[in-house]
Amino acid sequence: MFSQNGLSLDQAPPISVVFRFFLSGSLFGLLAGVLTLLFGTDIFNADTNHALILTHTLTLGVMLSFMFAALFQMLPVIAGVRLTSPTKKANLVQYPFILGVLSLLFAFYSGKSLFFIGASLLLGGSILGIAFVMLKNLAALQNHSNSSRGMSIALTSLVIVTLLALYMTGTLSGLLAGEHYEQVKTAHYSFGLFGWIALLIISISFQVIEMFYVTPPYPVFISKSLPQRLFGLLLLGTTGSFFFEKTWQVIDLFIIVFMLCYAMMTLRRLSQRKRPIADATVWFWRLGMSLLILSMAATLDTRFYKVASLQAINYIFFAGFALSIVFAMFYKIVPFLTWFHLNAQGYFTAPMMHEVVHPKTAMKHLYIHLATLAAFLVSVYFAPAIYLAGSLLILSFGWMLWQIVHAWKLYVHTQKTGERFEMTMPEAEG
Amino acid sequence: MPRTDKIFLDARELEHPIPLERAIAAIRELEEKNYFYMIHRKNPIPLIELAKEQGLGVFSREEENGTWHILIARDTSLDLEALCNV
Repeated sequence: MFSQNGLSLDQAPPISVVFRFFLSGSLFGLLAGVLTLLFGTDIFNADTNHALILTHTLTLGVMLSFMFAALFQMLPVIAGVRLTSPTKKANLVQYPFILGVLSLLFAFYSGKSLFFIGASLLLGGSILGIAFVMLKNLAALQNHSNSSRGMSIALTSLVIVTLLALYMTGTLSGLLAGEHYEQVKTAHYSFGLFGWIALLIISISFQVIEMFYVTPPYPVFISKSLPQRLFGLLLLGTTGSFFFEKTWQVIDLFIIVFMLCYAMMTLRRLSQRKRPIADATVWFWRLGMSLLILSMAATLDTRFYKVASLQAINYIFFAGFALSIVFAMFYKIVPFLTWFHLNAQGYFTAPMMHEVVHPKTAMKHLYIHLATLAAFLVSVYFAPAIYLAGSLLILSFGWMLWQIVHAWKLYVHTQKTGERFEMTMPEAEG
Repeated sequence: MPRTDKIFLDARELEHPIPLERAIAAIRELEEKNYFYMIHRKNPIPLIELAKEQGLGVFSREEENGTWHILIARDTSLDLEALCNV
């Protein structure tokens, strides 16, 4: 992808590195759909194991897989970071990560110590290992952009989320006494939702909104300091909560304001595009930002009204926000990578980007995604709708899986049968 | 001096990745007597790397307002710097 910082073709990760994480993310998405069908509306009650299992299927299995793919792809592009042996690193992360997620889901289901210990070792090792490698490379950069600085902070948050999670699994497995379990639990999901997921999206958006959609850049007061301020608030909330019970209530208010500012500014920037036609990825961004605004409004409301349905709606809004942005990035990255890698290899018959994923195909996914969100919202008040929501979730990730398989088949087919072009000067005759 | 034809692309208001797609299509069609001239809001490093790897002549320069001028030719003896309008 284009970058002012510079991307050498040698630096671009192999296409299989990015696709394999998309593939595992989609498979976990299918699992999330199946679990929704099995667990029903239990998933809306945060105190149940079913809610824990589904939450971690989505945040770890789906979101983290897609975010690993984005990081492997975006670190060289946005930050100019070169990860050596990307395929080897991807293998070392992905297999223990998948086993770790499954082990954690079994641990939540069965409560057995062995699964908690297995999950701790596998997830702790894989996530901390790759986060350390990425952070080390980012720290070596001489010139940071707002995006690369934000990505460093998001990765630091991921390390904190993981360490806090290890404390919790240690407690649940009986290895630790867990005196501070409740404080750690709040810090874990706060860092996970805002320090990791939201902050990574924010950091990447500083570059991609302007670059992909030809908009004016974000105002400096947002792009320069929002990640640092958000991270500072999360640290303050975590440490403060050990001394003052109501610390998060104050911190959350600031986080809500920051998130609202960011989401509204992103919507404003998207409205300033020069091209009048909006493709599916623009609508995914618009939807994501609108859901973030609604989620923050719901978070504010839950401070005053302890209504279970409002809490459930908030989960749907926030998950909808994060997934919408994942889908937006997916439909930009998959066609581009397929086309670009084939062109870089010199294939004259490389499919055009719209042949890899047709714009109408992405638009259909947008409608499926909207229908999924609507079905989940309806199911908060009308429980049988949860079966429709689960089925649509399966369709949504099945749709995505098909795009990956289709792109990969096109890629391999072109490599096998494609004609290579040669742009170099022909040898002089005679 | 032999006449050279310019294949021009103003990509400043084109959304990513259309500039790269059009630029690669254009440089595939390059002949010895012509050259590709692109104006863009970013320095398209992938395009430049790809053109260099293919043995093409490449020249790029940034204007004070941040606009990039990128020139690519099949004939490497062509003085692209002289053809750049900056």
